[in-house]
Amino acid sequence: MTTKALITDIQRFSIHDGPGIRTTVFLKGCPLHCLWCHNPETVSFSQETFFYPEKCISCGKCTQGCYSGARVVCGREMTVEEVLEEVKRDAPYYGCEGGVTVSGGEPLAHRAFTLALLRACRAAGIGTAMESSMYRHDPEILAELDLLMADIKIFDGDLHRRYTGMDNAEILANIKKADEMGVPMIVRTPIVSGVNDTADNIAKTAAFLKSLHHVARYELLPYHPLGQTKAAALGQDAHVFEAPTKAKMEELQVYADLS
Amino acid sequence: MLTYRDRIDTMRRTKIEHTLAKRAQNGYTDLDDFGTVPLPEGYYAEPWYNSENGSFYGLDGMSENFCRVLAAHPAYVDPMEMLCGRWRDMLVNYRGDVHYMPDWIKKNEKLRNFMSSGVTAQWSKRWDEKRFPYDDLKPLQKLYNITTGIDGDAHFACDYRIGLSLGFGGLLEKIRHYRGVNCGKEAFYDAEERCVLAIVDFIDRHIVKIGELLADETRPEIKESLEKMKTVCENIRLGAPKTFHEACQWVAFFNCASRIYTRDGAGFQMDTVLLPYYEADVKAGILDDETAKFLIANLLLIDPHYYQISGVDEQDRDLTNHLSYLILGGADMINISCNLTVRVHENCDPAFLRYAVECLFRHKNGWPRFCGDKTLCEGYMRNGVDKKTARERIAVGCNWMAVPGKEFPMNDTVKINIAKVMEVALGEMRDAPIKSTEALFALFEKHLEKAVEVTAAGVNLHLDHVHEVTPELIMNLMFHHSLEQGLDASECAELYTVGVDGAGLAVVADSFAAMEQRVEQEKKLTWDALYEALQNDFADERVRAMLQSTPKYCGGGTAADAWAARLTESFSGVVKAQKMPKGRQLVPGWFSWARSIEYGSVVGATPNGRRAGEPISHGANPNPHFRTDGAVTAQASGIAAVQCGYGNTAPLQLEFDPKITIEEGGVEIVMQLIKTHFLQGGTLININILDSEKLLEAHENPERHPDLVVRVTGFTAYFASLSPGFRRLVVSRFLEGM
Repeated sequence: MTTKALITDIQRFSIHDGPGIRTTVFLKGCPLHCLWCHNPETVSFSQETFFYPEKCISCGKCTQGCYSGARVVCGREMTVEEVLEEVKRDAPYYGCEGGVTVSGGEPLAHRAFTLALLRACRAAGIGTAMESSMYRHDPEILAELDLLMADIKIFDGDLHRRYTGMDNAEILANIKKADEMGVPMIVRTPIVSGVNDTADNIAKTAAFLKSLHHVARYELLPYHPLGQTKAAALGQDAHVFEAPTKAKMEELQVYADLS
Repeated sequence: MLTYRDRIDTMRRTKIEHTLAKRAQNGYTDLDDFGTVPLPEGYYAEPWYNSENGSFYGLDGMSENFCRVLAAHPAYVDPMEMLCGRWRDMLVNYRGDVHYMPDWIKKNEKLRNFMSSGVTAQWSKRWDEKRFPYDDLKPLQKLYNITTGIDGDAHFACDYRIGLSLGFGGLLEKIRHYRGVNCGKEAFYDAEERCVLAIVDFIDRHIVKIGELLADETRPEIKESLEKMKTVCENIRLGAPKTFHEACQWVAFFNCASRIYTRDGAGFQMDTVLLPYYEADVKAGILDDETAKFLIANLLLIDPHYYQISGVDEQDRDLTNHLSYLILGGADMINISCNLTVRVHENCDPAFLRYAVECLFRHKNGWPRFCGDKTLCEGYMRNGVDKKTARERIAVGCNWMAVPGKEFPMNDTVKINIAKVMEVALGEMRDAPIKSTEALFALFEKHLEKAVEVTAAGVNLHLDHVHEVTPELIMNLMFHHSLEQGLDASECAELYTVGVDGAGLAVVADSFAAMEQRVEQEKKLTWDALYEALQNDFADERVRAMLQSTPKYCGGGTAADAWAARLTESFSGVVKAQKMPKGRQLVPGWFSWARSIEYGSVVGATPNGRRAGEPISHGANPNPHFRTDGAVTAQASGIAAVQCGYGNTAPLQLEFDPKITIEEGGVEIVMQLIKTHFLQGGTLININILDSEKLLEAHENPERHPDLVVRVTGFTAYFASLSPGFRRLVVSRFLEGM
């Protein structure tokens, strides 16, 4: 049977989701529920509809199809072959650095599809990367990766559970297992004001990462409020956080140094 | 003691002052910066009209007015600089073309009265229609919104080696020699001689001015610099330049003259042509690299002609040399609207390409740009040209290439608005019993053939008579066979590969795809409903949204991409098939220059959801919102697939803020983008890597960033000098790329 998954978007010329020029495939559905999620449309495993009232032309013909962009269906079921075809379009631009990044949502929650897509990309000579919360360990998938971009959102387990709905003990253990497999890794922490923007949190995370052997970099990413607009378009109540200041990011960066 | 860096900083500040002063004097200018300086108080050159048509034409008209305007130009010497000379005014200003007429002429009552009364019964015209009418062509030219090329000037390239090897004295001798050889051509040689003598006089006035400045100069390093400048000018007023400094100064004077004459902006292969001078000076111990870079910076400041650097020879060997780096280094120092084009090829020096992209990244000022050798060279050879000549054909204009001193291509002066051609075809299909996209395409091709035929008639009229209207007396000096035979460049070129550009590709491709999907496949609309919607300019917004939301050209594998490829094949085929006399041939390309607003203003609503009068798509670029991610790779691949294939370009015009630094790998990403686009068949990349914050601030208040340069199409301009409409155009293109 052809493996399918719900895809929210396939973004070409993606240059912030791994090295070089990449195509990022966003899978729909994630077991974590991070309150600051900047891609809230990728949390649910079902198709949803964005509603942008400012684009509505009041034609009264919603049921016959919306063309103005006011109602946009989010989540398109696609086969691995269909996604691969899109990913191949930019293959000439990937060079030795770039390639595909499977993202989400949570790629590990779409195990069969993610594995099949990564294998198909490798067979086509396309470099592979995955962005994941690492909520589970999947050696088969990890074996297909040239790069893993894993998040450690909060180092403290209680806080992690409070803000993401899931404990992080398993996540840290899985990152360690990936490291033991020798998977090249970049680890990131989204910095959210009032949640995890403490020197203690970053220092502890960095200390953990220093005990590993295949972490190329530890990156701090500033939270941005893009998710709020999308959550509103999905009819959800978005949690409002403040973006960290540049000074704060610089201050925390000192603790993120792995050297 | 002032260092080169101090002097460059002052020169940049002066340039900003000039940009603001020019805007106050000329109003907004949607053109190249040209490197001009503001006109001095009381500047006045009275034109001499020799035609009842209210203009000046021919050998006597052009040479007399060139001498008058050049004589009115005061010498320009800035002690901070090592080179001197600037231009301010041009002959075309006096030929009444409202497109080019600057505010200062409109505001000059004396001049305006002179130009609109007395000897002239009407505003003068660039083309002498009394003698060479083309009323028979006008109805179809208007119907298809053709930019005819009739009355165009310059748009070919000189072989600078000729002038540099002879100097102005040598050119005078050559003129006098061949006047004796070619009997009956005295008027031609007299006109050429007058022009050269006027240039020598222009140089002499600079020598006097330098002398005056020297008398008051107290700073030792500047005094020494001015003395050197004076010696250089004295040496080259008649003599051929012997040093790198002299060669740069000679080019500066020639460029001032050719700009004043016909706005000629075609430069040369800078790193190859100037290399012998550089090497000889270094060997003689009279030139160091810092001075060479300063001189290049100075030359680029004097006039941003289009220069090509790097490239490849007939044996596929890389032409990048040490001077190529110094040229980029000079541009790097001055960082103004530098029109440098880097020719990219398989054996390109990667370190050089990296340096070029770093400059683009660091300064975010739209320079340099890049052209792709493979498709340009192979394509041009398909016109029956040998490889050596094809490799000599270099980037010297907005979208265009030319073989210096040998080709008369009229490039960028001839265009067909294919959105208008589609509109005519749609009009014809309205009453047809069977309506379909196939039937429409057949009608489109029929009208395209008519459009190309009438375009060819215009081109032939121009080529047959332009030497009697606007002989190219300055550029002839460095054009093979011109002085030798007493013929204008338009008469004695070895190659007449005349460029005909199509404009509006994305509008037409998206229109065909929208009709195919919504009318034919999904039957959401009837043909009658579509016609009604076009007629009433989309009174029903839902219909417009329906048509506008179909997958677009450059989406990647879309129906519109397939239509764009088919349109390219058709356009290219029709243009190439057009029979031309006297060894002339037409060469297809896609380019709208800066006319997308003007072209759009005469086209009604189109089936891609574009409202009547809105701008058409830019060059070969896709329409706005061609993909939700706006992926530049998708755009680059889409445009690579619509190249016309005969050595003329369909440029990739890119505006984006990658939000990534050099340290984060931004340069490698852009290098990969450039190399891949050319491997896929691309020909030219006009690229703006912009700082979004700075651009949006400048859009709100241009005064805040008077040094911001953008590549509008092929040319670069100071953002602050552009009209609000053009600023909006650049900003919206940029926002699309975010």
